[in-house]
Amino acid sequence: MVSRFSVTSSERRRAWPGRAYGLRPNDGMNRKTYFFFRFLQLAATFLVILTLLFFLFRLALPDPTTALVVEGLSQEEQQLVREKFGLHLPLWQQYGIYLKNSIFLGEFGTSFHYKAPVAPIVFEKFLNTMVLMVVSILISYTLGPALGVLLTWKRGGKLEIGGIVTGLVLRSAPMFWTGMLGVMFFGVYLGWFPTSGMRTLPFDSTGFLDTIFTLDFLHHLILPAFVVSIYYMGLPMLIMRNTMLEIMGEDFIELCRAKGLKERVVMYRHAARNALLPVVTQAAITIGLAVGGQVVVEVVFSWPGLGREMLQAVRTSDYPMAQATFMLMAFMVLVMNFVADALYGVLDPRVSIPREGR
Amino acid sequence: MAHRFNSKKLTVICAVMALAFLFSAGSVLGGEKVPAIELITTTEAYDPIRYETAFLIADSWKQLGLDVNVRPMEFSTILQRFYNEQDFDMVILGWSGRVERLDPQHFLGTLHSGQSTLGGNNPGGYNNPEYDALFDAQQAEFDVQERRELVLKAQKIAMADQPVDILFYRDEVVAYNSARFANPVVMAGEAFYNEWMPYSIKPLGDKKILTIATQQEPDTINPLASTSVWGWKFMRMVYDKLVRLSPNIEPLPSAAESFHDVDETTVEVVLRKGMTFHDGKPVTAEDVKFSYDYFISNDFPYFRPFLSVLESTEIVGEDRLRFNLKSPFAPFITVTLTQIPILPKHLWEGIEEPDQLAPEAIPTVGSGPFVFDRYERGQYKRILKFADHYMAEEMEIEGMDYMIYADAEGVLTGLLTGQADMSAWRLEPGQIPLAEQNPDITVVAVPDFGYYHSTYNLRRAPFDDRDFRRAVAHAVNKGTIIDVLLSGRGEPGNSVIAPVNGFWHNPDVEIFDFDLEKAKSLLKEAGYTWDEAGKLHFPKK
Repeated sequence: MVSRFSVTSSERRRAWPGRAYGLRPNDGMNRKTYFFFRFLQLAATFLVILTLLFFLFRLALPDPTTALVVEGLSQEEQQLVREKFGLHLPLWQQYGIYLKNSIFLGEFGTSFHYKAPVAPIVFEKFLNTMVLMVVSILISYTLGPALGVLLTWKRGGKLEIGGIVTGLVLRSAPMFWTGMLGVMFFGVYLGWFPTSGMRTLPFDSTGFLDTIFTLDFLHHLILPAFVVSIYYMGLPMLIMRNTMLEIMGEDFIELCRAKGLKERVVMYRHAARNALLPVVTQAAITIGLAVGGQVVVEVVFSWPGLGREMLQAVRTSDYPMAQATFMLMAFMVLVMNFVADALYGVLDPRVSIPREGR
Repeated sequence: MAHRFNSKKLTVICAVMALAFLFSAGSVLGGEKVPAIELITTTEAYDPIRYETAFLIADSWKQLGLDVNVRPMEFSTILQRFYNEQDFDMVILGWSGRVERLDPQHFLGTLHSGQSTLGGNNPGGYNNPEYDALFDAQQAEFDVQERRELVLKAQKIAMADQPVDILFYRDEVVAYNSARFANPVVMAGEAFYNEWMPYSIKPLGDKKILTIATQQEPDTINPLASTSVWGWKFMRMVYDKLVRLSPNIEPLPSAAESFHDVDETTVEVVLRKGMTFHDGKPVTAEDVKFSYDYFISNDFPYFRPFLSVLESTEIVGEDRLRFNLKSPFAPFITVTLTQIPILPKHLWEGIEEPDQLAPEAIPTVGSGPFVFDRYERGQYKRILKFADHYMAEEMEIEGMDYMIYADAEGVLTGLLTGQADMSAWRLEPGQIPLAEQNPDITVVAVPDFGYYHSTYNLRRAPFDDRDFRRAVAHAVNKGTIIDVLLSGRGEPGNSVIAPVNGFWHNPDVEIFDFDLEKAKSLLKEAGYTWDEAGKLHFPKK
């Protein structure tokens, strides 16, 4: 049986979400059932990730007490530390405790390195990372697609060639290099922006919001956000351009033009809206992955974020910290994918979940 | 069909047999081929110097007919293989020069057979009863001159056996802003990050708070939980100790007014009068006894090596304490008394599980020269001068800020842009010329007594052979390592006690010059042979 929708290029890219569960669009599954299935899938995936993380770190990383040898601690003292960490228990028992704590109690344990509860540290670093990443992603996913439309509009001109080349170069330039250039030129040579940290030290603040709602913070944010934005901008710009080129061949665009609409209106209101779907998916995934921060940028600008924390956790075999940070990242990617799915319906009514009796 | 004898065939068979005989005779003359050696080192990213050193050694050893495979590994994996599993042929690692290691106890201990079990500090498995006896004797010898003789002798014996090749001592190159501050004192192994720099440094302008750019961060500021040197290097500014080591490494009374040994197993300490904690409460003998007991009763791993010898602490009068030792232990004053911080009893005694404290619940009150002000993880720490400290008048700065950077580049940029006044730890070789170009920045090189070494697994051939080890010691070009890899900022190694540790170093230890011909002739003397391909074979058994 042929679908009653004509299959457009944008639909081809995104199949009916219920198909994964063996349901066809006109099976009459309603929104609730769909989200229920989707949630089950999310939970199962998350459980698998939790398990993988637990065993991955324990198998791949050296014993966390190894580093204490360098501090001159003998085997006996290392054993003491191991018992404090609970590492003397059999692996299955550790796994049980881990699952119980992380799922039912929402506890992520005590960091081996910091000897302090993991959750507040992760939360603090998470906010620091997100404030940088969200600002950068907002900038790049606003300007990027807009530029993508412009490139399609000016197809064949010098602007298009220039835009594509610039986009590719920015996308390929490693951030440690652009970051260092930024520090050298704007920080050291011109002296316009500070080169490290989130605030001029020492500063007093009552909390996270108090820290970031200041001009001083903004001053510190500009340079790293600029470096991250120009890196992120290339992708949505190029995706937008490619999708737009396909859309421009569709009949309805011709109709719009025939109606005598202005080219700007055709481009931005009609074509762009239809081309936005792949960009939205990309944006959601980018935000999900952004939890891990950009380690390189965090190092170059000494930004106290989660990326540096993840790296250090792996280096010091800090299992609880590594588990919590990677768990958070996996969780964000899963949730943001879910959000992207849900957003589809809003952006493009054709892929919305059919209601019963429709 | 009759079999026809083929004389041609016979000739071939004879020739083959003769050849086979010749080859077997060759292997009878020498022993088996020396197996390929796996040389474990750090990755290039972790430490380019150790990485390159491994290839330098491999290249010269190949000229001796050895097969050497360099295996760069993640640092923690190396530690695991080396210390916990002892699964290695040869490893390049280092010991950092921490001030309590100026006492020969720790470094000599890395060659004691008692430390050769899994996880011990002697993973190579060196076992020389004569050396062990000297080691045991020196740690029980309270007479410093007598002890020195024993320490020198122990070094000489061990280094002649070459269970480990001490490669080099690397200078710490640090920098400070000499337009703003003058006269920071440096200490071997600690550079600027020592206990005396805050007293010696003089502010030249209005800036009275010294800003230090650092990459290193404490793991925690809980004195009952920190197991890293960077935790303690920071906390010792806040907490006072009975004794501190002077820049010339002499034990100086600090919170103690005086100390002396009553007999071989008893040390008596008289407490300084009129000291207070940062919260205004007086420092008493009770607090000192509490601190020592508390670390022992909590079985705090980091201090166990220093405290395991302590039997009991007793108060024998107002301001007077006695430490009773289980057995004579010479480093008790220079190591133990200089390590253990004095904690305020009134703040700690009610805490049940002190190592489980949440960061905000940690009491940060000490009686040291600085008052803890704040610590923002990953960003900065601040400590301020304690006006009521007995040495407060000798300090001209008002406090110290530590700005935490993510990498060495950040530290240098901080110095060059004037955001920071001093680097906490070493600059990378490539950064040194950049720092030197800046007229405000003064670069200082400080010799280290920590050392980099290649340790052999003495349980495995060929390293179980003393002659082999002595021969290959001549095939390590330490001059090139210093000149090329360290740009001249270092000293070639010869003993576990570095020359800069002048009192304990033995200048008469055997020196193994770089001389490939000598290495070959020593191998030959020991009965090693080379086959046609130039590969080294063991002596005939």
